Amino acid sequence: MIIDVHAHWGPWFFTMDVAGANLRAMDRFGIDLSIVSATEAVIYDAPAGNRALAAWLETQDRHLGYVTVNPRRQADAERDLAAYLPTGRFVGVKIHTDYTRSPASSPQTREALAMVAEAGVPALVHTWGASVLELAQTCLDTPGLRVIAGHMGADGFAHAIEAANGCDRLFLEPCYSHAPAGRIAAVAAAVDRTRLLFGTDSTLIDPASAFGAVAAAGLDAETADLVAWRNAARLFDLDITA
Amino acid sequence: MTAFDASRLIGQLEVTLDVDVLVGEYPDRDGPPGSPPAVLDVLAAHRVRAGAVASLRAALFDMRSGNDEVLALGTRAVPVGAVDLRDPVGAVREAERLAELGVRAVRLFPDEQGVEAGFPSVRHVARKAAALGLVVLTGGDVRRFWQPFAGLEATVVFLDTHFYHLGDFLVVAADEPGFHTSTRLLNSPDALETVPADRLLYGSRTPHYEPVVPLLRLATSGLTPEEIAAVAGGNARRLLG
Repeated sequence: MIIDVHAHWGPWFFTMDVAGANLRAMDRFGIDLSIVSATEAVIYDAPAGNRALAAWLETQDRHLGYVTVNPRRQADAERDLAAYLPTGRFVGVKIHTDYTRSPASSPQTREALAMVAEAGVPALVHTWGASVLELAQTCLDTPGLRVIAGHMGADGFAHAIEAANGCDRLFLEPCYSHAPAGRIAAVAAAVDRTRLLFGTDSTLIDPASAFGAVAAAGLDAETADLVAWRNAARLFDLDITA
Repeated sequence: MTAFDASRLIGQLEVTLDVDVLVGEYPDRDGPPGSPPAVLDVLAAHRVRAGAVASLRAALFDMRSGNDEVLALGTRAVPVGAVDLRDPVGAVREAERLAELGVRAVRLFPDEQGVEAGFPSVRHVARKAAALGLVVLTGGDVRRFWQPFAGLEATVVFLDTHFYHLGDFLVVAADEPGFHTSTRLLNSPDALETVPADRLLYGSRTPHYEPVVPLLRLATSGLTPEEIAAVAGGNARRLLG
């Protein structure tokens, strides 16, 4: 059993044609459930992307959704959270801090994350380098908020360790198109293992990348089980048994 | 066995020549061990029969003594001479020495040496390497580092091609039959399947990157068995011997 907490649905603007690659890639790597955001919502138009994703999710049984929030569009966010979270097909919120130029410490992202905390769902937030520390501080300042540090800071994984150890409502998700030796093992050795999740960034990145990096870490069976699905099931309150 | 069992997916894939292997140390970072025996052990543990090995000592400190280290490695290593772009005169002198010794390739480390694609040294070394018939393995952003090699009929392997820049590689490679790319950062779901298979070379950057990732991506790719064998070493052998 594997739950992918960082996946996407929809086309990308790079030289790639992967919009239909989702289930095939999941099957290849034994991924049972993916939690996806709409690429259109992340990159360009959050309400339009969320609306399209909601329609698509109605036809799927191995996907759940993130409502994407653009922190610069608080009214849209409020409307979309109210519309989609009650459907049961959306279980969290996605915020991309770069595409919206809204760092985790910015007033608009802090306000958006306060809204997410109020809604009672976790937020997957893009982090890169030291920005994961800003996310930890915003999380500490926002009562009840639970955040997933997407990419766990990428090359800044040492900062991710510090962030996770400083905020017990911050979870780490490892996907990254690079695979520096020892990155996952270093994080797993230094962070409470109940806060480690698995994510791929599929369909932008092939699951081979995150799967291979986690495999290389040689996690013990119990930790691997937590990373693969148990922590995600608990965080998203999913009714799943192995 | 855990949910993250890569060996099942990698199966019997065997790499006959990894085009991106380093010995030595980066003084600005921790580990991993870079001694030749340690590096060759990592390759063997991942069923990689041989690596095209370059020396970080040569790249960062002293070309000649570092390159002599890799020249002394056994049959599991194809020696690749590192040249220092901060010293284009010495770099060409070293490339000539290596060519006389039968070395087939030189490697450029522009990022590590703080050298940009537009610096005169890069064009100078590119011209001389092409004239000597040496294959060039180069780091750096392919969107910039294609340019010093353009029009030279050079054989080049871009070691840092990221899938974000795949389109740029494809359009320059269409005009340059000698341009090739490593698989290391082609991690999107269709990048390996998009590049012509005869231009793709398996590269891992062992021991600084996890070899499992490019192995897994190649093993689970949509390439035919013949294409996989070419990428996993056939193409590299054609270029490097």
